[in-house]
Amino acid sequence: MAQARLDRRENITGWVFIAPALILLGLFMIYPIVWSLWMSFQVGKGMNLSFGGFANILRLTKDPVFLRALGNTFTFFIFQVPIMIVLALLFAVALNDSTLKFRGFFRTAIFLPCATSLIAYSTVFKSMFAIDGVVNQTLMQLHLIGEPISWLGDPFWAKVLIIMAITWRWTGYNMIFYLAALQNIDRSIYEAARIDGVPAWARFRYLTIPMLKPVILFTTVISTIGTLQLFDEVANFTAGTGGPSDSTLTLSLYIYNLTFKFMPSFGYSATVSWVIVVLVGILSFLQFLIARDRRTS
Amino acid sequence: MSSLKLTDVRKTYGKLEVIKGVNLEIKSKEFVVFVGPSGCGKSTLLRMIAGLEHITAGDLEIGGQRMNDVDPSKRGIAMVFQSYALYPHMTVRENMGFALRFAGVAKEQIARQVDDAARILALGPLLDRLPKQLSGGQRQRVAIGRAIVRNPQVFLFDEPLSNLDAELRVHMRIEIARLHKELQTTIIYVTHDQVEAMTLADTIVVLRDGIIEQVGAPLDLYDDPANQFVAGFIGSPQMNFLAAVVTEKTAAGTTVALPNHGGVRLTLPVTGGSVGDKVVLGVRAEHFGLPGAGDADLTLNIDVAEHLGSTSYVYANAGGEALVIEREESRHEASSETITVSISSGKAYLFDSKGARLR
Repeated sequence: MAQARLDRRENITGWVFIAPALILLGLFMIYPIVWSLWMSFQVGKGMNLSFGGFANILRLTKDPVFLRALGNTFTFFIFQVPIMIVLALLFAVALNDSTLKFRGFFRTAIFLPCATSLIAYSTVFKSMFAIDGVVNQTLMQLHLIGEPISWLGDPFWAKVLIIMAITWRWTGYNMIFYLAALQNIDRSIYEAARIDGVPAWARFRYLTIPMLKPVILFTTVISTIGTLQLFDEVANFTAGTGGPSDSTLTLSLYIYNLTFKFMPSFGYSATVSWVIVVLVGILSFLQFLIARDRRTS
Repeated sequence: MSSLKLTDVRKTYGKLEVIKGVNLEIKSKEFVVFVGPSGCGKSTLLRMIAGLEHITAGDLEIGGQRMNDVDPSKRGIAMVFQSYALYPHMTVRENMGFALRFAGVAKEQIARQVDDAARILALGPLLDRLPKQLSGGQRQRVAIGRAIVRNPQVFLFDEPLSNLDAELRVHMRIEIARLHKELQTTIIYVTHDQVEAMTLADTIVVLRDGIIEQVGAPLDLYDDPANQFVAGFIGSPQMNFLAAVVTEKTAAGTTVALPNHGGVRLTLPVTGGSVGDKVVLGVRAEHFGLPGAGDADLTLNIDVAEHLGSTSYVYANAGGEALVIEREESRHEASSETITVSISSGKAYLFDSKGARLR
């Protein structure tokens, strides 16, 4: 009896301790999430909302701007994530070589972009990639192009620019994970492979990559989530328009525009937000499925 | 099956010289053990033979060919590491066959060679397991199997038993000795454990600070150490060292006095040393005799006595000089406070103040 009372008191004390965090989380995270789900079934403009059932989902299928944004987001995801992961992996392997000089400098240099200010780097990128910017001038002087590329005016090159920018910014961040993982691998594994006559490419392909698989999976999922939520670069480079002619419009930017720029339709933008959630869920699940260790399953 | 020759081999890191000119010949099919305290350069020397460390100066020949600049995979060697160095994501079978895939060996041939090696090492039931599903001893057997599969001319072992517990270490030691008999290959084995060296080696190479102190058969090193370091390193318990002073030189040999033992005198059949020299007398624990049975008697205060059944170790001292005495079938020492033992001059060694043997 006394024991039961003591247990209950301990339980209450425990709950009291975590209550502040729980209340804050509930208020500012769980409640808005649930509310946004409810909102996604609301139709109407501004505060004039009413329950519309699946009307918003139907609207999605007929909304050319949404479909455009979805397509753009997928384009960014399909090209950018693999390029960045491969680059990060190659940099990490190169920088893990103990015979390389100035390793610390290169590591810092490659990692630094993700720690720089978004506005500062966007401004520098915009000036570098302007029609008369340093990039065009250099390419012209090298005779690689005949006339300047309109990086921000051409739908194709605008996408390329966005991909280059986010790759530049996040490659170093992913590289750090690989470097940390590589440094945990027993060096004698590679020495054994060298003595056994396993060529360098095969050591990378059959030893490094499989041993880094959990980290590769982690960074791929994180990068997928990041790219599906892509907003910053597009908003800054195109002054929030996703131009030219919606060619760089992403889902996140569209949500922002629906909510704060156009006549606000909170319900519909909540629906688009949930599209991102569902996409992240599906893609992460697929990635886990692909990376699953067949032997232990 | 190949011979090895090292000629004035050196290794420096910047200004620090860690291997200071090693000359060594290893015969084909010989089991050679490099032994020495940590930091003596034994692993570095092995890694230089393997090609994992560059040879700063000198020549390495394997099977009569200079190998200094030859890629590790083309030296005809296989190496077993202390950490096993198994590929964690591959099964035992894949671990053992992995290297052969890149040597252009056909799949069926790989399977056959892996099966052969697995049979020798009794790895058959483990072939489809991952390294993490194996015990330490099993992992080490897989690492050895991976080496065997390549059919090398020389096996290199880098402290292969250090990560195993005592019981398993004894078991694997016997296994490796059996393997050497069966495969008849040249083996170079690095260890800091002199018991492993004594039990496995045809030839022991004792290293200290990057130089070879002595090369010889285990019992030759035990019976006839070249200097005080080898005398102290080979044999367990360690040889006792007693401070001594040369008092007389005669036709019978050199007479020394032991100042810590009331100046008791002893004449050894040794010609080296001159009167007045401070020297060191070495006596192995098992070479102390009963009182009066030798050439000089010492009376010591007992600190501790360990009775292991057939053998007892008595830790005693005189004048602050600690000694260990091995006794057979004698269990009463703990009860008495002093012990009197004798030294036979024929079973004692004399070293000069720099540690060199006086003969």
